[in-house]
Amino acid sequence: MPAILEVDNLVKKYGDFEAVKGVSFSVEEGEVFGLLGPNGAGKTTAISMLTGVLPPTSGTARIGGYDILTDMDEVKKLNGLVPQDLALYPTLSARANLSFFGRIYGLKGKDLKERVEDVLRIVALTERADEVIEKYSGGMKRRINIAAGLVHHPKLLFLDEPTVGVDPQSRNHIFESVLRLNRERGMSIVYTSHYMEEVELLCSRVAIVDEGEIIALDTIKNLIALLGGGVIHVGLQQVDNSLLAELSALPAVREALLAQQTVAPPLAEGEAPEAKESEPISTSSVVKIVAEQSQQAVVNVIGFLNDRNITLTSLEILEPNLESVFLHLTGKKLRE
Amino acid sequence: MNALHIARKDLQIFFKDRGSVMLLFLLPLLFIVIFSGALSAIGSDSDEDTRILLPVVDLDGGEAAQTLLEGLDAAGGIRVELYAQAEARTLLDERKLARVLTIPAGFTAKLADSQQVTLRLINHPDADAEGTEAVRLIVEGVAQDMSLESQIFASLRQMADMQANAPEEFQVFSMERTMAQARSQFERSRTHPLVAVVQTVPGQEGEREEMPDPIQLAVSAFTVLFVFLTSQTAARSVYDEKKIGSFRRLLAAPMSKASLLAGKMIPNFIMGLIQTAVIFAFGIIGMRLLGLTPMTLGSAPLAVVLVAMVVALCSSGFGILIAAIAHTENQISGLSSLLLWVMGILGGCFVPLFILENFLGPLPKIVPHYWANRAFNDLLVRGLGLADVIMEMAVLLAFTALFFALGVWRFDFD
Repeated sequence: MPAILEVDNLVKKYGDFEAVKGVSFSVEEGEVFGLLGPNGAGKTTAISMLTGVLPPTSGTARIGGYDILTDMDEVKKLNGLVPQDLALYPTLSARANLSFFGRIYGLKGKDLKERVEDVLRIVALTERADEVIEKYSGGMKRRINIAAGLVHHPKLLFLDEPTVGVDPQSRNHIFESVLRLNRERGMSIVYTSHYMEEVELLCSRVAIVDEGEIIALDTIKNLIALLGGGVIHVGLQQVDNSLLAELSALPAVREALLAQQTVAPPLAEGEAPEAKESEPISTSSVVKIVAEQSQQAVVNVIGFLNDRNITLTSLEILEPNLESVFLHLTGKKLRE
Repeated sequence: MNALHIARKDLQIFFKDRGSVMLLFLLPLLFIVIFSGALSAIGSDSDEDTRILLPVVDLDGGEAAQTLLEGLDAAGGIRVELYAQAEARTLLDERKLARVLTIPAGFTAKLADSQQVTLRLINHPDADAEGTEAVRLIVEGVAQDMSLESQIFASLRQMADMQANAPEEFQVFSMERTMAQARSQFERSRTHPLVAVVQTVPGQEGEREEMPDPIQLAVSAFTVLFVFLTSQTAARSVYDEKKIGSFRRLLAAPMSKASLLAGKMIPNFIMGLIQTAVIFAFGIIGMRLLGLTPMTLGSAPLAVVLVAMVVALCSSGFGILIAAIAHTENQISGLSSLLLWVMGILGGCFVPLFILENFLGPLPKIVPHYWANRAFNDLLVRGLGLADVIMEMAVLLAFTALFFALGVWRFDFD
């Protein structure tokens, strides 16, 4: 499949702050591509540059073969944007909103009417199309927000956190709409979210974004495979490097790493800090064990600790999903 | 084209907000009714009779005495009031009257016989010298006119008597006809004197503008004030788009930033024109229905329309400037209130320009309101034409260009 979107080292700076730090990725035609990351990771800024809302500081991108730096007018015709905000006029009806957004993309007359009816059908709000938006529920507003980005039939649709503040029923409806647009109409979609369940459900490939950078990009299966057979967090009173090496050598364990250091050992009088850094490690720590096979690894780890008479303070087996991948890669939770 | 779509959408949104519509269209009408009433009151105060009182004791009561009284009254500067002789004397003694003019008995008869008569003007010793001198000059002037008139009539009568004794073929003019012609000449000399004399007081040598009609003044002033206040609408509209996020959607659409800003200016412009039309319609029809003097559109209605368009355009440009420099709702309100009301006050929307200029000098000229008011005043109050307001329109267009350029320069599209 040819790429509909190719992003090349895109950067956005606000003074000294770098909101997007040279991201590069591509999206194939007909693909649903996910940008997963916590709030403030730079997802919306990246989308804003790709849709012409913000100029990039450096780098570029091509959409449908058009460069965003030189052919933004053409790019804008191919793009559809569903912003995170409910970007609708609350005192106008849904139909009036959609007609307006259709008009600014050059639609008129019968064509405009047909497109408006079409997108109303997609979001299943034809019956209530003449009601003013302010009378809609949050979920219905979200659906019309999506419809407004679709009315001109874009080739590439950017959905920026489209389910924020939506009830489960409307959320499911939005998922169905996205999948139908992709499967039935072949629309390419860039879907940003901080909900890993949504990205797992909708996207074939995902870029995990944190602090303006893409820290991993692959299919969901491959990203989860980064965790091997799963991740186990083991809480111990004391950890040293030899213990980590022994844990790493256990059968069904791929790797054992220090995940969390809660209490730093005090420096002795006159002792240089760099000398302390080489010391085995601390008290009350969490060891992250990347397993080949999680159940077998748990049995082996517990048996090993019992044999050595080491006290286990906590044990957590992480489900192999994108949340765990994000935690594994950044040490943070997605919704922190 | 996209600018028109944005404008249409904004107008749809605006006219759904009944509160704003009422505020925009009814508030100026309310202001006009209140202020035109107040200005009328000021105007009537200025009409208060400030002429010097001249108490007159008319002991004659004849035709010539009446002519003299009318002559004094019409001369300007003094106001004649009749008193009985005793009353006048008492009031003069009590210093309640500054002076008294007495027309002697037999005044009419003596004049008819061309006999000399004397008018007696008694001034109280404490009467102000200026007033006394003014009254003396006026009384003497009118008396001289009467003397002259009387003497000429007597001459004409003599000529007529002589002609009556002449053969019929020489009787070209009858006495009545000659007298009527003479009277007509005198009348004309009063209303259209060949040489006019204007008395001035030191410090008031400059041309003093007449107090314009308060209705015309209020209508044009509040039109200017409220059309400029409409510029808040453009700023708020931009702010609302940014707040709800639709501004991002517009930026992502295939349209230029200039189209976007033009789309925000057009509704402001249209609302300014509608507002002007509503206010003027009220000034013409509503004032009549309220029993007040209706306004007129002057002698160049087309020029009024053109000025209204330029004023609305200038207001729209100012709206973009406010949208560019105010980033929050409070800033828009605060900045608009501060700037637009101060500019309104400075530009003659509350105090007539000729009064403002007397104590502010050229300062009002720095605000567009001044030029807008001047243009409307020239057309509506003075009845001037398009050619007379070209400069005002050019200045307003220059303000528009300045506001728009500053607005585009400072506008935060991010």
